[in-house]
Amino acid sequence: MHELSIAMEICRITEEAVGPDRLEDVIEVGLDVGIDADVVIDNLEFCLEALLAGPPFGRGRPVIASRPGDDLRVTYLEVDDADQAN
Amino acid sequence: MPIKRIEVRERVMTRNDELAAAVRHTLEEAGVPAFNLVSSPGSGKTRLLEQTLADLGDELRMAVVTGDVQTSNDAERLARHTDRLVQAVVTNGACHLDARQVGEALAELDLGETDLLFIENVGNLVCPASWDLGEAEKVVLFSVTEGEDKPVKYPKMFEKASTAVITKTDLLPYVPFDLNRARRFLHETNPDLRVILVSALGGAGLEHWYDYLRSRVNVARAERRSLHTA
Repeated sequence: MHELSIAMEICRITEEAVGPDRLEDVIEVGLDVGIDADVVIDNLEFCLEALLAGPPFGRGRPVIASRPGDDLRVTYLEVDDADQAN
Repeated sequence: MPIKRIEVRERVMTRNDELAAAVRHTLEEAGVPAFNLVSSPGSGKTRLLEQTLADLGDELRMAVVTGDVQTSNDAERLARHTDRLVQAVVTNGACHLDARQVGEALAELDLGETDLLFIENVGNLVCPASWDLGEAEKVVLFSVTEGEDKPVKYPKMFEKASTAVITKTDLLPYVPFDLNRARRFLHETNPDLRVILVSALGGAGLEHWYDYLRSRVNVARAERRSLHTA
């Protein structure tokens, strides 16, 4: 049930890491989700797919790794760097 | 397409936990114990608070923050029993309160004129277990109409609570609720859990609940004194 709140917090962390002007460039959000983290991975994935596919994002997708323990963590972000490279 | 990889390694709950720590610090500085009341919907959180405000209102200065998915009905019910401000947080669909909401509600309260704080969480035995609000203790309620196996069905909430209040005990003669089995499940889930049986409607057991609140207020006052003399 609280996966949407968690997904929104993940979006906030993503925005803090890449900045508000580059959210459209986010293509992958990597997560570690512990099996004891009280998170239903399918639900979290569904929420994140919905949030990352729409504004202010657009083409992001979650990549979730299930881990032992209760950790719940954003591990990495992948960003399309084409604009910055030019 | 050139791709840049950014290492983050940030815990998702970090922000909430930081805010909860700030709430806890504020409350400890003020010597105000905060009780986060959690239960499934309909367990009697609001009814217990109504009776507590009515019975202890002259003795203790109690503040209340209520969380509901929609409406401020609970806050309005409670406001009838106290002259003090009852803060209503409408979560607009969220299934739990978070530390930011509690921190904002605290800003409206005069903690210097408060002996204890109740936080009535959204009725839900799953999600509120994961969100630290900065409370001193979680108090989990479950009623005799719900079945005695709630602790083993929702263990995390009962593991995190310090006290379990079994409510609506006036209905015990009418429902197939095995009190011994309930106690066994409670202690299997959390051996340290304090168990209090109450009927807010009939009054049975309320003195145990009130004694528990009084003792926690006294402890918080003593801790505050030692904090300020250290």
